[in-house]
Amino acid sequence: MSKASRIICLGINHRTTPVEVREKLAFAEAKVPDAAREVVSIPGFDECVILSTCNRVELYAAHSHEDPKQPLTALVDYLIEHFQLAPDQAEALVTYQLASTQAARHLFRVVSGLDSMVLGETEIFGQVKQAYKTALEVGTTSRELNKLFQRAFSVGKLVREKTAIQRGSTSVGSVAVDLAGKIFDLKTCRVMLIGAGEMARTCAQSLLSRGAQSVIVSNRSYDKAVELAEEFKGHAMKFDDWEHSLHEVDIVISSTSAPHFVVKPEMIQKVMKLRRGHPLFLIDIAVPRDIDPAINDQEDVYVYDIDALSAIAEEGRQERERQLSICEKLIDEQIEKFRL
Amino acid sequence: MDRLLLTLSTLAFVGALVHAIVALRAGTWKDNKGQWVLMALALALQSGFLYLRGEVHGRCPLTNLFEVFIFIGWSMVLLYFLVGATYRLSLLGLFTAPMVALLQTLALLSSLDTASPKARSLPNAWLELHAAISLIAYAAFALGCVTGVMYLMQERKLKRHKIHALFFQLPPIHELARAIQRLVLLGLVLLSLGLAAAYPLHISISNPKMIFTWCVWGLYALIAVVMWRHILSARQTAWLAVVGFLVPLVSLWIVTKA
Repeated sequence: MSKASRIICLGINHRTTPVEVREKLAFAEAKVPDAAREVVSIPGFDECVILSTCNRVELYAAHSHEDPKQPLTALVDYLIEHFQLAPDQAEALVTYQLASTQAARHLFRVVSGLDSMVLGETEIFGQVKQAYKTALEVGTTSRELNKLFQRAFSVGKLVREKTAIQRGSTSVGSVAVDLAGKIFDLKTCRVMLIGAGEMARTCAQSLLSRGAQSVIVSNRSYDKAVELAEEFKGHAMKFDDWEHSLHEVDIVISSTSAPHFVVKPEMIQKVMKLRRGHPLFLIDIAVPRDIDPAINDQEDVYVYDIDALSAIAEEGRQERERQLSICEKLIDEQIEKFRL
Repeated sequence: MDRLLLTLSTLAFVGALVHAIVALRAGTWKDNKGQWVLMALALALQSGFLYLRGEVHGRCPLTNLFEVFIFIGWSMVLLYFLVGATYRLSLLGLFTAPMVALLQTLALLSSLDTASPKARSLPNAWLELHAAISLIAYAAFALGCVTGVMYLMQERKLKRHKIHALFFQLPPIHELARAIQRLVLLGLVLLSLGLAAAYPLHISISNPKMIFTWCVWGLYALIAVVMWRHILSARQTAWLAVVGFLVPLVSLWIVTKA
């Protein structure tokens, strides 16, 4: 009997199940330990790790049944009972049920970010680690799952080291952050939002999560600026005043609904004289555009509009797709080694 | 034997360059141990060459332009290991390897390796110290030039929105700008020490060697002031570091011929 042969995985994810159903089947973080204990108390189950994120709910288990169909059915029944699904909901429940090598391969893919909504994303690695740690702490893992998960973490690291699956950015927000990181030390960066659009908010959030120092929000509606500034622990500014503080910030994200350019070349020329060689990164998310593209010709100023950011994100996605076959091959090799 | 070591060292630099390009294309640059090993091997072979030459001359092997080029290449690689580790500019090797390989290939193929009367002269500690420190300063300027090229490439990519594989591997422009400043400053300090070491030799101020060396010192002092006072943009300063290196390069030729 191979090492992976007593392992099963039952799950739902963003591809199999809509969010309305996924949210019903999500395990609250505090309830995961009890749920794992409940699974191992089912006859024939020896070990269990529960992974519950916004995009997936997966139960990994080691069992002592001869036929893996039996424990997989038992896990489906457990889910229905635990979440008290109505008969029609239970009938509509679509899960993937994997056993042995298939289950191991699936976990290796999950840990490597190959099964994620954003291909190659790294957050899932930490989420799986946390799920495993929880199971380890409550004592619902032993020989089989310990070996599987430890190998999975090695495979995840290997895939990221040996391939370019993480290379590039795949969303406008992450492109903006990556570009900013190539211009400044983000930890010393000050950000200004002109306009309080949703995408500008996302970009600012991404910059803050990567260490940006502070945020100034300026909006035609001052109340909305205050509200957003409070969210970012920054400060609000009247719309007529932002121009006077432009030289104090490193990144400007503009998303107003103005029908004309709001940021003009002569304005930036004055600002750059005050900045004494420090670069300025202007992100224009508005349509029609807020920032005159001619500003990009000025020294030490970098202007990106929504099309430029989107094109880079698309290129990043394509690059990751190209890396997929290399990653799959690497995982196949690791599965072979795992079975030996 | 010494030329064989140098040829092998040149091949190792070419190998490091090829390895770096292959790794970059495959997206596996992060795992750059191979390049590090090849650069270290090339440095060891260069050191072997300089040691053998030193044994033959019984003094620091700086007796002709050929040896001067090799010594600068050796200093560049030495500084690469120091600067690369300190400022996380590991990709500097990708740009340093071809420059040193080219320098050594030209030196090997040229007729610069001729016996010089200096080789037979008695060693003078101050003279050797002056020459060695000044050449290490020139190597710092050379690395400043290489870093300037990296800055200009990265800046161009940012300006033109050409975000490809190399963009993600190159360091941020603020780090590159800082590295250029530090290398120029390091070179300037070393060159000042080199000039100070020439003081006990009582060389006339009208000596062409001294005039050219002071010209190089003046140029880099000017670049340092421009950087410090932010008189030019970071891009223009990077251009200065790149183009400015032509002056020490030409002065070397003149100084060794004089």
